[in-house]
Amino acid sequence: MTATHSQLAEAFNKDFDRTTWHDEALWFVRQKRDSAAYGIKEFQELRELASRIKEHTLSNLDKYLVSFEQNAIRNGVIVHWAMDAEEHNKIVLDILLKSNSKRIVKSKSMLTEECHLNPYLQKNGIEVVDTDLGEHIIQLRKEPPSHIVLPAIHLKKEDVGNTFHHHLGTPAHESDPQRLAEAARQHLREKFISSDAAISGVNFAVAETGSVVVCTNEGNADLGINFAKVHIACMGIEKIIPAWDHLGVFTRLLARSATGQSITTYTSHFTKPLEGATMHVVILDNGRTKQLGREDFRNSLKCIRCGACMNTCPVYRRSGGHSYNFTVPGPIGSILSPNLDLKKYSSLPFASTLCGSCTFVCPVKIDIHVQLYKWRQIIAEENILPVYKKWSMKIMATLLANPLLYDLGGKLARYVLRITPDRILNNNWLNSWAKARELPKPPKTSFKTWYIQSSKKK
Amino acid sequence: MNSRDSILAQVKNNKPALSPLVDLPPFEGDCSMAMFKKSIELSGGKLIEMNSVADTEKIILELFPSAKQIASDIIRGTIAVHSSTDNIVLRQIEVAVLHGQLGVAENGAIWLTEDEMLHRTLPFITQYLVLVLKKEMIVSNMHHAYSIVVPSAYGVFISGPSKTADIEQSLVIGAHGPRSLTILTYQE
Amino acid sequence: MTVGLFIPCYIDQFFPQVAIATLQLLEKLGINVEYPIRQTCCGQPMANSGFEQSSISVYQLFVKNFSRYDYVVTPTGSCAYHVRKHFNKIDQTPEVVKVRNSTFELVNFLTDVLNKTEVAVSFPHQVGFHQSCHGQRGLGLSNASEITPDQDGQAIRLLRTIKDIKLTQLTRTDECCGFGGTFCVSEEAVSARMGIDRIADHVRNKTEVLTGGDMSCLMHLDGIIKRQRLPIKVMHIAEILNGNNIYE
Repeated sequence: MTATHSQLAEAFNKDFDRTTWHDEALWFVRQKRDSAAYGIKEFQELRELASRIKEHTLSNLDKYLVSFEQNAIRNGVIVHWAMDAEEHNKIVLDILLKSNSKRIVKSKSMLTEECHLNPYLQKNGIEVVDTDLGEHIIQLRKEPPSHIVLPAIHLKKEDVGNTFHHHLGTPAHESDPQRLAEAARQHLREKFISSDAAISGVNFAVAETGSVVVCTNEGNADLGINFAKVHIACMGIEKIIPAWDHLGVFTRLLARSATGQSITTYTSHFTKPLEGATMHVVILDNGRTKQLGREDFRNSLKCIRCGACMNTCPVYRRSGGHSYNFTVPGPIGSILSPNLDLKKYSSLPFASTLCGSCTFVCPVKIDIHVQLYKWRQIIAEENILPVYKKWSMKIMATLLANPLLYDLGGKLARYVLRITPDRILNNNWLNSWAKARELPKPPKTSFKTWYIQSSKKK
Repeated sequence: MNSRDSILAQVKNNKPALSPLVDLPPFEGDCSMAMFKKSIELSGGKLIEMNSVADTEKIILELFPSAKQIASDIIRGTIAVHSSTDNIVLRQIEVAVLHGQLGVAENGAIWLTEDEMLHRTLPFITQYLVLVLKKEMIVSNMHHAYSIVVPSAYGVFISGPSKTADIEQSLVIGAHGPRSLTILTYQE
Repeated sequence: MTVGLFIPCYIDQFFPQVAIATLQLLEKLGINVEYPIRQTCCGQPMANSGFEQSSISVYQLFVKNFSRYDYVVTPTGSCAYHVRKHFNKIDQTPEVVKVRNSTFELVNFLTDVLNKTEVAVSFPHQVGFHQSCHGQRGLGLSNASEITPDQDGQAIRLLRTIKDIKLTQLTRTDECCGFGGTFCVSEEAVSARMGIDRIADHVRNKTEVLTGGDMSCLMHLDGIIKRQRLPIKVMHIAEILNGNNIYE
């Protein structure tokens, strides 16, 4: 059985100071996002617009996909369609084999992480180098990303220093971010210049023009794609936006929400391949059409992968991305993952206090906390929860639907709590409560008893 | 059914009822030079206002007195770069001085396309990038920008030098691309 | 006007003083308050755990108890939010619709229905106000930092009018305390850590009395305060508005 979020979170929390550090690093990003959002007066209006553009797009997605395809083909782009991760990976491998590409550079793409493309290509004898600095660090460490925008946010500079010392030959104990980044720059420039093919993700795919838009701060996507003879852009069906002008709305929201920048350093629009080069777009479903059919959950497909819900989530900040055990961690991942495997990811919708901060920062207004609540209902109905939880809830419900039983139960509970020394209380829930917290000291009478007695006196 | 057709069929089957496409309201904003300058500086770039485009060469000499490998179609470059220039040459470029088509005051981004780049990799592989922009071509925000720029084969908004904060959120300038970005504006 | 007083189960059993303060506060304002004694709970604990279906009979009991009143008032934002938002799962009879629309969190009732803008009590202490997420983001009773830097809200506005009070300026103005219903035990480690961090913010910024509109958040935070033996007193906002002193 896979570990639950709470088990992994408990392990994460064993290191108190590192948890503090992780929380503060991400809270810093949330604060930068706040300043950027407060900084333009129409920010809330833009969120509403973006949400409605995506709403419309999803309601007409088949038509927009076809028009994107037609326009891309007209631009000289080769378009592929993949039902699932396996087909996606085969398509990519096939393109690489046919073009005799052996050295591949890849810029950040959560979709290829979702498909586990790297191990698949490596198994087939193809070298793939992740070129985003954060991705490169975790690739060297053979770890999954812990955040969709800041893949190595779980690592300290000393950790990166050790990794680079081992793999890139930087001096032992070198932990200066400037010097470490410089070492990666030198190393990766060689890779860019000598690569055969470049794989990239897609931030937005414009139906009207057939263009794909890729946003980075490092410039690694442009360096990779422009040096290579083959460009493969991998996207989910939900990346479509109808028109060129809509980019104005989304580019104003994306970087502000993600890192608090007013725009990413590079916002690159690939419409036609260079003469002599080829450009492919692989369009992936992998459960997305199924999610589109779920009325309560379809608007999770509006997500533009900014990561703001992770940065703001008090649970994510104190449990780390790896505790979610899913490619996309945090609140958005917790509503995307049950669609793919309800049982495996059944603990994720419960990894939330339903505080709603995720919904409030989301640039496309996905009602994330409402969907977490709704997934909980489905998970309970499907009988996936532990038996004790089910029965305790059923007993509680019976008690609370019956005033007489409730009065009796309440009296009993207060009595037991009052007469039993804290350390003897041997109940799972009470024990969990009492690890870091005192139990409330129960009063002699309930309010109800007091009320009845004082009404009699009147 | 092939994957394309089955994906499209499933989308058609599962999509919600059509919701209308909203019109974009006109978002006005500040398109002043002061705003543009502030945004460029926030993004880690530098703005220099010139009197005329003819001053470019003098300024480049002042900014990069020891640079040998300069590529440009604006000043007399030491290295000729075109679409078939070899990678070995490209990787030695120290400074690229190129035209920008349009600037955005709100975020300091400059739009340039393949036509201005000499080679698609040049604005990224060069160690230092200088973009020369007509003052009249500064718009307030991205809505105005997208209403003017057209989807050419390849076009990029560049805002500031290449950067990363992937190591402990420490900002490092000069990740893979240029270590600095200087914008030179001129009036026609 | 007759108000039905809804006292959530855990306040009834563990914090009767909060319910008493709520009752006295409303009566002092000339409101006729009744407490229907067959009441139990709003059903939230089960529903938030995924057992909304099992809660339906609890919802129905709630409506039966409260549909005869002009307003239902409760000293907890979380329960008011649950009634308003989640009672959509049962048949929307006129009684259900009425109960959903007329259920108010206490401070929300004071400011929006009774139009109270100030309270004539004195409370010479440094008070830290804990925003409950359901009150803030759920019911919209105060501004949220995700949307605006302006810290404003119904409770804060009322508290500011109290004589001699000093309000704490927190470093993180509206972060969740980590209670979250059964989350507090099923995700014990994160829940406790969130509470510890919230309290640390209050300690750093010199809170003497911690207050809020949701006793569930306060119960969790009080558990941490007591475990760490900190000199912070926890009081529900009803107690402060009712003029209770700190030693009661």
